[in-house]
Amino acid sequence: MMGKLSIFDQLKKEGRSILTEFESKRLLKQVGIPVVETKLAKTQKEAVSLSQKMGFPVALKITSPDVIHKSDSGGVRLSINNVNGVKKAYDEILKKISKQYPDALIHGVSVQKMVRPGTEVIIGTSKDPQFGPVMMFGLGGIFVEVLKDVSFRIIPVDRRDAQAMIQEIKGYPLLEGVRGREPSDIPALEEMILKISNFVEAYPEIKELELNPIFAYKDCAVAVDARIVLE
Amino acid sequence: MESKVSEGDLSLKKSDLSFFFEPQSVAVIGSLREGYFGGYVVIKTLLNAGFLGKIYPVNPSYQEVLGLKVYPSIKEIPEKIDLALIMINRRSVPDVLRECAAKGIQAVIVVADGFAERDEEGAKLQNEILKIARDARIRIIGPNTAGIVNSANGLTPDPYEPGYKKVKKGAVAICAQTGMINPQAFPYGDLHYGVSKICDFGNKCDVDECDLLEYLEGDPSTKVITLYLESIKDGQRFLKISRRVSSQKPVLILKSGRTKEGARVSASHTGALAVDDEIFTAACKQAGVLRLERFREFFELPKIFSLQPLPKGNQLGIVTFTGGVGVLAIDEGEKYGLSTAPLSPEIVERLNAIFPGLGKTVVDIGPPMAVNNYMTIYSEILKAVLADDHIDCLFNVIWTSPFEEFVKEYLKFYAEMQGNYQKTIATWVYGPSIPLVNELSSGLEDLGFPVFSDLEMAIKALGMAYQYSNRKKGEA
Repeated sequence: MMGKLSIFDQLKKEGRSILTEFESKRLLKQVGIPVVETKLAKTQKEAVSLSQKMGFPVALKITSPDVIHKSDSGGVRLSINNVNGVKKAYDEILKKISKQYPDALIHGVSVQKMVRPGTEVIIGTSKDPQFGPVMMFGLGGIFVEVLKDVSFRIIPVDRRDAQAMIQEIKGYPLLEGVRGREPSDIPALEEMILKISNFVEAYPEIKELELNPIFAYKDCAVAVDARIVLE
Repeated sequence: MESKVSEGDLSLKKSDLSFFFEPQSVAVIGSLREGYFGGYVVIKTLLNAGFLGKIYPVNPSYQEVLGLKVYPSIKEIPEKIDLALIMINRRSVPDVLRECAAKGIQAVIVVADGFAERDEEGAKLQNEILKIARDARIRIIGPNTAGIVNSANGLTPDPYEPGYKKVKKGAVAICAQTGMINPQAFPYGDLHYGVSKICDFGNKCDVDECDLLEYLEGDPSTKVITLYLESIKDGQRFLKISRRVSSQKPVLILKSGRTKEGARVSASHTGALAVDDEIFTAACKQAGVLRLERFREFFELPKIFSLQPLPKGNQLGIVTFTGGVGVLAIDEGEKYGLSTAPLSPEIVERLNAIFPGLGKTVVDIGPPMAVNNYMTIYSEILKAVLADDHIDCLFNVIWTSPFEEFVKEYLKFYAEMQGNYQKTIATWVYGPSIPLVNELSSGLEDLGFPVFSDLEMAIKALGMAYQYSNRKKGEA
């Protein structure tokens, strides 16, 4: 618990409200939410040894509080298969970022294990002026962006609410597994919703939290990207 | 339209609105000039409705009105006052409210308008009166309200002339942020299902939907609560209270502001998609509150709860005069999770014995209507269908025919049926004569059989009753 408080304090001290992906994931991991293995490399050498330890393929992402849209600015490289690739990607990412954001504070480059694609799910929270923190659930990608196939509940969310909000979306049959698609671990998604509800309820300074995407598989679900914004 | 003044220390329990609805004495402060609006009308409507408490008109320019002594000011009234109604110019309201405070009055309805709903000055005045009220531990309904009604004790202080004397007693409580629900606007004298309480919150500077819900929760004459809201004052409190109240009594809510305009600019998908209406819908689901979609439903759907038992399950029975209506009813029922299963073999046999081919899922009583002893057959059919264990609720269609004797016969039959059935029955009446349709409909509602304006409304009523019975089971 100390970890959470100290990072919130640290952000306040630095005068920023958005946690980096790395910070967000570290925090979520602490509260028991499965996230893709993500380590921070401060040097190219470190990036290489971390990726060797994790096993290829890996992804490299810029970690800076000043770079919000990581991929748009060339700060993300996916599916790197060997040591040379890691070295090259590390240099290129830093070069691009320092060109585009010469004043950016760089924490490092995060090294993440590439996981096989699962059914994409989004879980998020935001604050409603009348009801306070609210939870959203939906399928990721076009389902959330184009079809807006999502469900909401007011936090705190109980197990029955969590079940209902998963079953409520039109795309629910996709989670059950249709036409040979792998079914998703629905209880694991419920568990994630409940843990996030508890977390957000306990920390009113959290303004927005979003796990997007989460990859859901037959026997587990894991958050691939995450963002936490404080008040 | 709401004001922000700190809650302070309220000696009254937040939900204790009994001085509003059950006052022993009412002071009416305002114009007593004979007319269509104002203090004179309030006193007249109270007298007409046979209000059981004492009435004290307050106005320095009158000695007597409608046979009652008029007092020049509140402090001249020799006895204790439970409730004051203020209908004066907005700028005088703070002073009169201070007089109410000095008199120890705890409940005040500010009918006067021109507050936060009008302009900056009005908003300031509203804050001022709220502060006076908080300091003096006065609760306020309004400002800008047409007031309240309690049908049990004749408390109908309507500032507008309703034109009828009494609001029919019943089990439906109606609350709204508009005077569109007060006696002058709706024929509560002629509405056959009856109401228990009415409340127009007005600008709800103090008493709000949560206070009302808590009061109505403990009100034995209220069996169902309908609310029309433009806004929720305190979302978390609303969720907590409406969840608790709706576990005991159905709560039906019509809410405006269903557009996407409330969507806020946000960096995340969650923030961008979390529009007001989505969130309110979610809150209703969590609270077990039933959401209404149209104004018409506001007055119609509560009837199913106030007059009928809850269904035990989702099996829908249909008695109709044409097959076509039956098919439409099945389609409509599916929207609410109602399903039509075949009748049980014994009942099928019983119906076929009454008339060949009658024992179907949709019981079509068109053909047997042609026989001579139709009314005898009709009662046998309905009794048989209502005795079927396969059915939880009934969509009951009645064709009046052009003949008054049929209407009389139907009413005779339903009078016998009263209290002798366990299913939820929603009735739709149609026919070639509006007077006959009206006669049968109001007669049936007097007997406790709610009649709905069309097929869809009747099915929705059954659907909501089914949803609410599920919600009750979920709590158990």
